[in-house]
Amino acid sequence: MGFPSPAKDYQEDVIELSQYLVQHPTATFYFRVSGDSMINACMPHGSLLVVDRSIKPVSGMIVLAVLNGEFTVRRIVQTRRSLVLHPENPAYKPLVVTEEMNMQVWGVVTAVVVKYKYENNDRVG
Amino acid sequence: MIALVDCNNFYASCERLFQPRLQNKPIVVLSNNDGCVIARSDEAKELGIEMGAPSFLIESLLQQHNVSVFSSNYTLYGDLSDRVMTTLSQFADQLEVYSIDEAFLNLTAFRHHNLTEYAHTIRNTVLQHTGIPVSVGIAPSKTLAKIANRLVKKRNKQLGVYCIDSMEKIQFALQHTPVKDIWGIGSQYTKLLTGHGFITAWDVSRAPEEWIRKNLSVVGQRMYNELKGISCISFEDMPAKKKMVCVARGFGKVLSEQHEVMEALANFTAMVAAKLRSEQLATNTIQIFVQTNAHRSNEPQYFRSLTIRLPVATNSTNELIYHARQGFETIYRPGYNYSKTGCTAMELIPVTEVQSGIFDKENRSRNSQLMQVLDKVNRSFGKNAVRFALQGFGTRWKLRQLKLSPCYTTRIDEVLTINI
Repeated sequence: MGFPSPAKDYQEDVIELSQYLVQHPTATFYFRVSGDSMINACMPHGSLLVVDRSIKPVSGMIVLAVLNGEFTVRRIVQTRRSLVLHPENPAYKPLVVTEEMNMQVWGVVTAVVVKYKYENNDRVG
Repeated sequence: MIALVDCNNFYASCERLFQPRLQNKPIVVLSNNDGCVIARSDEAKELGIEMGAPSFLIESLLQQHNVSVFSSNYTLYGDLSDRVMTTLSQFADQLEVYSIDEAFLNLTAFRHHNLTEYAHTIRNTVLQHTGIPVSVGIAPSKTLAKIANRLVKKRNKQLGVYCIDSMEKIQFALQHTPVKDIWGIGSQYTKLLTGHGFITAWDVSRAPEEWIRKNLSVVGQRMYNELKGISCISFEDMPAKKKMVCVARGFGKVLSEQHEVMEALANFTAMVAAKLRSEQLATNTIQIFVQTNAHRSNEPQYFRSLTIRLPVATNSTNELIYHARQGFETIYRPGYNYSKTGCTAMELIPVTEVQSGIFDKENRSRNSQLMQVLDKVNRSFGKNAVRFALQGFGTRWKLRQLKLSPCYTTRIDEVLTINI
């Protein structure tokens, strides 16, 4: 049997990343993005999004929206006059949501997960 | 008071959640093997598509109206069902999951609240969190809650809530419920009751108790009291222990090679074994069967089943496959086009109560260790990553699921990609 570990009494659970990323498991869904229109919000092409449906969208949040039946991801901004869907890339234009458009917030993006893909196996040094 | 919460067109709603362009568009979901319609969106119902309609018969109708068709994706529906049920559990001390898309909530503790308001809170929260629209019926008994829920769907679907909280409302609800739509009334009782001139649930509730006692069984009497608002059917928070586990499926195509049918049976048997293990159960009797397609009346027909008694109750894949194979070789006849096979585990007992046999030669502890490893590997590397040789790698016996949607919520490589 040997000696009991002196660390035994101090043992804790290891860090669970999903616990850190997900506040409301039953309301949280994952999506992947294709495109660079949100690049300045730390959301490069291929990012995995954590989307929480239970959070009330507030001006300034990044949301997964449904615009005329299609999904999109934008920062939602309420100005004095209108509701605007803002990209986070100067190459794209903001969109003012008008009456005729059918826009709904599907959920609020609460985290972005980016995994580096290392393809070159040549070692350095 | 008791609430029955029922998801609206559940399978269609699950598919729509990830395809918002299908909002307000007709959707149907097909059964295993894409055989017939098992779920419809409201728009599809309006087109006159019937529940159970064989898909090949309505193909042109589906095309003509641009109906979106899906194979059933039980992985997706199961996950969304779990989310709905977990969300509901916050709203009551007692929750009874009645089916994949229905649950009873015991609201006795909330009787001093405004229950209609409370029901709206439940409904809005479930829709907000999970994206699934639900209807809520509230009443003093389970049977009336079912009726209240039905009325929501028939009369004010937009509102989504109906609360039967007075004698007048009980009368109104019962008067608008035909006998055949009373919960627990089968076709036998419907015939008996309508034969005696009972047309609505209201008529039944006003029958003399004597008559009910004489003509209906205990179940009927309970129903009678429930209709009057006296709660008689208790809550079952714990799902009843399973009495049987069965995996039986039709093939994507008919099979005439012995090894192919055996391969299918081996896979279904392996699924039965895995299910038993996940519930810490073992079986001492299995029944297997093979059959041809009865709809192909011009072909020779064959059906045979065999019940096999096992020397010692078990849930090991290797043992069950061994016995299933022995049985299969007894009942298999060449020269037929087989369309279906299956394995049922009967007489289930908890693993802790398994009695060993005197002449038992199997090394049981080694076997159960092997199964633990097998389950663990398959959990991390995917279903059937490790399998028995007899299960093979064939695909001809597999279900036809041509319109299967991705498992958006349970597989990281199938999450939806959004173009931004």
